[in-house]
Parts: sequence; structure tokens; C-alpha cells
Amino acid sequence: MTTALQSVPAKTDTIAPPMLILITVLLLILPALALVTLRILRPNFRFFWLVALGGSLLAWISAWVWLARLPLIFQLPPWQPEALFFDAPAFLADGISWPFVISLVTLALSVVLTAVVRQDLTDPMPWAGTLLLTGVGVLAVTANNPLTLVLVWAALDLAELLTQLRSVETPEASERVVIAFSTRAAGIGLVIWANVLSVSAGGRLDFLSTPPSAGLYLLIAAGLRLGVLPLHLPYTAESKLRRGMGTAMRLISAASSLVLLARIPPSSIISSLTPFLFILTAFASVYGAWIWLRAPDELAGRPFWVIGLAAMAVASALGGSPLGAAGWGAALILTGGALFQASVQQVWVNRLLLVGAWVISSLPFSLTAGAWQGEASVFLPAWPFLLAAQAMLTAGYVRHALRPGIRDTMDSQPPFARTLYPAGIGLLLLTALVLGFLGWDGALQVGNVIASLSVALLSLGLVWAAPRLPFLNPIRAHWIRPTGTSWLDSAYRGLWSLYRVLGRLGNLISAALEGEGGIMWSLVFLAVLISFMLRGTP
Amino acid sequence: MTAPAIWIGFPLAVAALALLIPNERVNAALGGVAAVLLSAIALFIPFDSALLIGPFSVKIASSFQILGRSLVLDPANGALLAILYGLAALWFFGSEAAGVARRLVPLGLGVLALMVASIAVEPFLFAAIFIEIAALVSIPLITPPGQAPGRGVMRFLIYQTLAMPFILFAGWMLEGVESSPGDLALTLQAATMLGMGFAFLLAVFPLYNWMPMLAEEASPFVVGFLFWCLPTITIIFGLGFLDRYAWLRSSPVMADTLQLTGVLMVVTGGIWTAFQRHLGRIMAYAAVVETGYIILALSVQPASNAIQIIFLSLIPRGLGLAIWALSLTLLSRKADSLRFTSVQGLARALPLASLGVVLANFSAAGFPLLAGFPPRLALWEGLAGDSVLTAFWLSIGVLGLLTGAVRSMAVLVMASEYTEWGWGETWVQRIMLGVGILGLFILGVFPQAVRPLLEGLPLIFNRLGQ
Repeated sequence: MTTALQSVPAKTDTIAPPMLILITVLLLILPALALVTLRILRPNFRFFWLVALGGSLLAWISAWVWLARLPLIFQLPPWQPEALFFDAPAFLADGISWPFVISLVTLALSVVLTAVVRQDLTDPMPWAGTLLLTGVGVLAVTANNPLTLVLVWAALDLAELLTQLRSVETPEASERVVIAFSTRAAGIGLVIWANVLSVSAGGRLDFLSTPPSAGLYLLIAAGLRLGVLPLHLPYTAESKLRRGMGTAMRLISAASSLVLLARIPPSSIISSLTPFLFILTAFASVYGAWIWLRAPDELAGRPFWVIGLAAMAVASALGGSPLGAAGWGAALILTGGALFQASVQQVWVNRLLLVGAWVISSLPFSLTAGAWQGEASVFLPAWPFLLAAQAMLTAGYVRHALRPGIRDTMDSQPPFARTLYPAGIGLLLLTALVLGFLGWDGALQVGNVIASLSVALLSLGLVWAAPRLPFLNPIRAHWIRPTGTSWLDSAYRGLWSLYRVLGRLGNLISAALEGEGGIMWSLVFLAVLISFMLRGTP
Repeated sequence: MTAPAIWIGFPLAVAALALLIPNERVNAALGGVAAVLLSAIALFIPFDSALLIGPFSVKIASSFQILGRSLVLDPANGALLAILYGLAALWFFGSEAAGVARRLVPLGLGVLALMVASIAVEPFLFAAIFIEIAALVSIPLITPPGQAPGRGVMRFLIYQTLAMPFILFAGWMLEGVESSPGDLALTLQAATMLGMGFAFLLAVFPLYNWMPMLAEEASPFVVGFLFWCLPTITIIFGLGFLDRYAWLRSSPVMADTLQLTGVLMVVTGGIWTAFQRHLGRIMAYAAVVETGYIILALSVQPASNAIQIIFLSLIPRGLGLAIWALSLTLLSRKADSLRFTSVQGLARALPLASLGVVLANFSAAGFPLLAGFPPRLALWEGLAGDSVLTAFWLSIGVLGLLTGAVRSMAVLVMASEYTEWGWGETWVQRIMLGVGILGLFILGVFPQAVRPLLEGLPLIFNRLGQ
């Protein structure tokens, strides 16, 4: 089986035009900056949308050009002094990262195209934000080493933090944004810790030779950022950012973590903890898929869609199939993007959306066909749960795609919008179809036919049963809580209590050291320390 | 012309002049320009070699004799002086925005010049005197005229003063050690005395309690200046001892002691940061942790890497503290105090100052993309190569700092519903903070940008740096 390891070039100095990566990124970032500048200097400018469209279209074309030149590597100047730093920030486009790249730029183009039916075309800020985030997202998915990845993750997290804080109103919502940020920051911390473990083992952390002690931390880092390990909802629901930029932000953030799953060598995650992680992942996938299946609408269910598919990607990585993880990642962006952008009712668009069900079915030659082709010994008891979760995700997708009632109609839209809007949706689905056949290491896979057929049958059964069985009916929107499950709340409350107890203890010591007798106490501590240190001397 | 006259005498003269100027803006400009000038001279004009400027030949001699003692700033010190005065310029230019220029410029320049004198004086015994004078000059800096000194100020003075006899005794004993190197008892006593002196000077655990106390009592900007200036130069002074005495450098007890001291500072400082409910105290504990990082870095092997890590962290530390202190000053003007209850929701009124507090805190913790990350990463890797347990303790300290940053951020952004966002900072404050924050990001992504400045620094220490 082709793995991520084999796709990375052995020698980077023979690789031609590395600037292609930079060109695509600049084609996204420069129009974004131009839009912001124009918004400030010429607020009445009439062609904001055309600027955004031009940038995203050119970036999309340039990303296809990469195909002719893969693999590409773009390296920033090395950090100095060289004695202290092993790696330089570098970006690699290869058979693993390219499907992510094309998915992200297609999503950006789709956001701009579908905006014609959604929003006031005089406000360019959402497009500027989308293009900027996509540019950073492209850098994230092409990160060639953990150092680069944590740098780009940090950039994405800070950008998302600031954007979210601007878009929420209540203090509780602001607090949740900060908590979501800290969860993702914990993921960054785990990657850094994986690096520390690699160095302590006498090696260095990269995507080619991750030591077994570090690989698991990388996997947990990605799982934590995605909300899968442990299960939690990292995203807030009370944001003004819904479709468009809201969708882009969610999916780009997820893609930046999913790519790590596709980079972890299968050999580095075999551990005694793997079955335990499988159970947690299966639980997250079932939970996410179940709520997704019963969500009142696709936007309310969006966080659960991300968790459900991300859990599938984590399971693929745990099962030793990094290409499967990459397939799930691209499918999450492309099919999710199509569904969440679909804000206007049109029969053909609804039918077109059903293509997404094929994409996530893992049937032969679909984008996710490599999902269940693991190398490592797979934890078998988790399999039925994962397959059931996949079926629920697929059935939920079909249900949301065919629920036209909640969307506006196309009748009130201008003629150009009637053409551009379906094109924006169709582009995502078409890309997903094409990726099943070409462009990356996981294309043209037959996959595990038994598993995929089982999922397909189960999905059909669920679609058929959903209107007939009451417990499969949609739940009310307010039941979908933004803060997570009750047991998780209890865990957080427990941690918070522990924190307060420790805080009180700390304050007690602090008060003693800063009080009237503080100098005496300090000197006593110092004397104890010195005697302790001198015990080892001759 | 001599180097000590330029980098010690001239700033003292400017400090005296600044005392006579009542205008905030003029004071800030005078201090800032003087510091930039001193930094530029240190960077571009070589010591001990003649420089032709038109018909004139200028030579900066490296030593200066006074009362039978020498002040020596040799060519290797040029880059260090450039960094110190360059960073001081940031503080002096920012002092107007913080509203403390009339105190900070004259007294701050005085403190800096005296601390530079402490690393220049020979025999080094007299450094203790200069450091003590610097501590005394700091008192009017942190206690505005007409205001009684608080407990934090008193404790600061007590601890800095206690350091002096220990250093003096250590100096006297070290002469004995040099003459009879086999006397283990004397060696141990000298090392203990020296350790005690530096423990007080560097405010190691548990002698750092004056720092959070001071952060509550005095202006955050002047406190931030002291948190930057005193430990930074004291560390350079301390490195001189390690460089000079082979027995000290090669002693396994010394290596263990440094590592344990650093770990204690990082862990305790980090844990206390996580539980504070006052933004000034958080900055103080973060400064403790940063000093702990430097002490911990001394245990990294080989020693040349340790020196590189220490110098790599000089600029991020100075820049981060300057942004942090300026931001806190702006917040403290808007709120009654820097307690969480007083500053809640202020991010919507002072977004850039709030961002400055949070990013400076993240940078101190070593969050990727920010200036503190490269030196922290190097330290982590350096320690991990030797002991993963020490690296783990470092992580605990970092976790504490991050918790403090996240809690500060949560409090600052939790404004009551429908509070509008605004720009409460003036244009000057926005520019100062904006440039500083940009600097944090640039140093976080391109640490090699300051490489030309840092390249020659290890040469200050003939043995440690090689």
C-alpha cells in the first residue's frame, strides 16, 4: 500500500518550482489584503466581489497546476543558530497534501460564488476573511514538519480567536470562544511534547521517522483539536458567522488538524493505548453521527458533522491507513462545504448534493475508498460502531440534503445568481468526484468492499426508516448544546473544583511569604533548600 | 574617548539632565534618542581601533581607570550594549504613552548605566556596590514623590541589599580559592556565599515575593522596566563568574543546583501565575519564570548551546515585557486596579492593550508564532537531550503561564452584552503597541532576524561561549 512515507521525496533539491506553493498562497492572501484596503480607503467601491472571485479563481487554477509538478517543496530560511534548531519551516505539496489544498481552494471559490444569493455584495470582509484563512489553511496542510505545523496552527487559532470574539455578544459566548482556543492550544502543546520525547529518545520529530513514543501524542493532538479525543465540542454555536465564512472557518480549522492524521506513520501509533483510543474514537463517531442524523438542520448539526467525520479520520489513522484519513479529511471539506453553503432551494442542487453521499460511502473509486484499508492490527470490537456511525453520517447527509423546507427559494434571485450559485455547489462535489480517480496517492482505490457495501445498505435502511421511526426524528434545536455532554460538564466541574482547591493552597503559601513574617519564611525555605542541595557534596 | 565613558558616563549625564526637564514628551524623546544613539554607536563603531571621520581620528578605548579601579568594556561587549540600550530605547519611547517619562527616563537611564558599570568593573568585587546603588536609585523610580513606600518596595530594597555582603564575602573568599584551589571547604563556602548573593539578586525561589507585591503597588511600566533590567544584567554578571572559575563551571553540584533552582522558579512561578487574579501579579510571576528559564538554560549541555539559548532569549524577554507593561499601564488607567473584577470586559474598550497583555503572556510561555517560542523550543530540546523529567517540569511551568494567559484573556473579553468595540488607545499608544506586537510575531517566525546582533555575544565569555 502507498503510504505518506513513500510520497515524500527523498531529495528535495531536485524538485522544481517550489514557488508554486507560494503563488497559490499569495493569490489568496493578496486579494484579501486588497479587499480590506479597499474597504477602508474606498468603501463605495463596486467591485469587491469581483476582486474576491478573481483571487479565488486564480488560486483554484494555480492549485490544479501543482498536479503537473508534484512533489513541490518550499522552504523558509533556516532558523539560527543552527546548533539549536533542527528544522526550518518548510511546506510540501505531495500526494497527501494536494487533496487538502484543492479542497480548501475549491471551498474558498465556492464561498465567493454562492455569496451571490446570500449576502450584501457591498461588504467584502467575509470574503477577505475566507481568502485569508484559506491561504493560511493551505500553508497548514502543506506543513512539512511539526515545527511548521505548530506555527501555522497558532496563526489559524489566533485568527479564529479574534474573528470569533468580534462576532459574539454575550460574556458566556466570549468565554466559550476562549475555552475553544485553549483546547486547540493544548493540541499544539501535545505536538511540542511529542517533539520533546523524540529528542529525548535521541532522534528528532518529523513526518518521516516519528518515534513510537511520539506518534501517539501527535494523534491525540489532532484528535483533541478536532473534538474527538476526548469528545467535546470545540466550537461555539452562538456566532453570527453561519454559512460562508463560518463554514470556511470550521472546515479549514478541521483540515489543518486532519492533515496531521494523514502524516503520522502507521508504525508510530502502535501502542498498548491504541485499543483504548479506538474505543474513545468509536464513541465520538457514534455520538457525533447520531446527533447529526437527528439535527434539526445542517447548520445546527455542523459541529457534529465535523466530529463524526473527524472521528472516522482518526479511526483510519489508528487503523494504519493515513490515506484513509486524508480521504475523510478531503470529504469533510468538500461534501460538508457543499451542504453548508446550500442556502437556497433548487431541485437540481438538492439532487446534486446527493453526490456527497457517494463521496462519503467509501465505495470503490470514491474519495473515501481507502478508509478501511489499514496496515496495523485493527481493534475489531470497534468496527461495528464505526460502520454504524458512517451509515448514520451518510443517512443524515441525505436527510439534510433533501430537506428543502428550511431554505429560501431561487425565484427571488437575479439571473446571474441562478447560474453562479449551483456552480459554486457543484464545483465542490465535482472536485470530490474527481479526487476519487486522480490527483493523489489515495485515488483509484477499491477499498474494503464488504465494509463499504454494509455501510451503503445500512444507510439506505436508515434513510428509509427515518420518517417511519419516531426515535429517528429530528430533535429540537435547543437540545443541541454548545458546551458538550453532561458527563464532560461534570469532568470540567471536577477539574474546576480541583483548580480552586489548589488555588486556595497557593494563595495560603503566597500570603505567608508576602505577609509580615514573609522574609523569615523565605529565609527558612532558602536554608532548607541549601541544606538539601549540599547533602550531595563531599 | 573610552567605552565606559560613553556607555556609563554619558547616560548618567543624560539622566542628570533629564531630571531637570519637566516635560513628559521631551523627556521620553531625550531618553529614547540617547539610548538609540548609544545602541547605534555600540553596533557600528569598533572598540580599540581608530576610525577616521573626515580629518578626525576617533578611537574608543575599552578601559577607563578611576580611583585605582578599572571599568572595562571590551569589543565583545559591543553587541550586548547595543541590545541593552536598544531595548532601553523601547522603554523610554514608551514611557510617554505610559505617562511615566519624567521618572523613568532619568532614573531608568541611571539604573541601566549603573548595571552596565557592574559588569564592567574590575575587580568584580565592586560590582556589588554598583548593583546596590542601582537598587537605591530604583526606589524613587517605583515610589512616586509624596507617596510612602509600600511593603513590596521595602522588601525589594532589603533583598537587594542583602545580596551585597554575600557577593563581597564571596569575592574575598574566591581570592583564597585561587591561591589554594585544593581547599574544598573554602571552595564550598565561597560557592555558597556566591549562590546566596545571586539568589537575592535574581530573586530565586523563595526570594521573589517582592516582585508580585511590587507589581500591585507601583506603576506597571516602571515595575516592568526593573523586571527586565535587573535580572538581565545580573545574569550576564553571573555568567562572568562561571566563565572565570573553571572549578565552578565544572562542578557537578553547581550544575545540579542551577538546574534545581531553575526548575523551582519555573514550576512555582508558573503555578502561581495560574492562580492569580491580578494582571500585574501575573506579569511579575511570568518575569520570575523567565528568569527561571535562563537559570535552567545554564544546565544545558554543551555550555556553548546554553549561552546561545540565553542570548537568544534576551530580546524576546525585553520586548515582551515592554509590551506587557505598557498594555497594563493603559488598562490600569481605565480601571480602578488591575484585579480581574476591575478589568473584566475591558478588551472592547482597549482592544490593542488587551491584545498586548495576552500576546506578551503567550510569548513568555513560548506559544508558537511569538518571540518567546524559538528560545523556549531550544531550551526544551536542550533539556530533553539530557533528562525528559526536567523537560517535563519546564512544561508544567509553561502550562501555568498559559493558564494565566487564558484566564486573563477570558476576563478581558467577557464584556456585558451589547458592549460596542472601540479604540480607547491614542494614536501614539496604538503605534507603540502595534509595532511591538508586530515585532513579537517577526521574532517568532524569523528568529534569525536578530542573528547578526547575537552572533558575537558568546565571545564575551572566553570559555563558556566556545
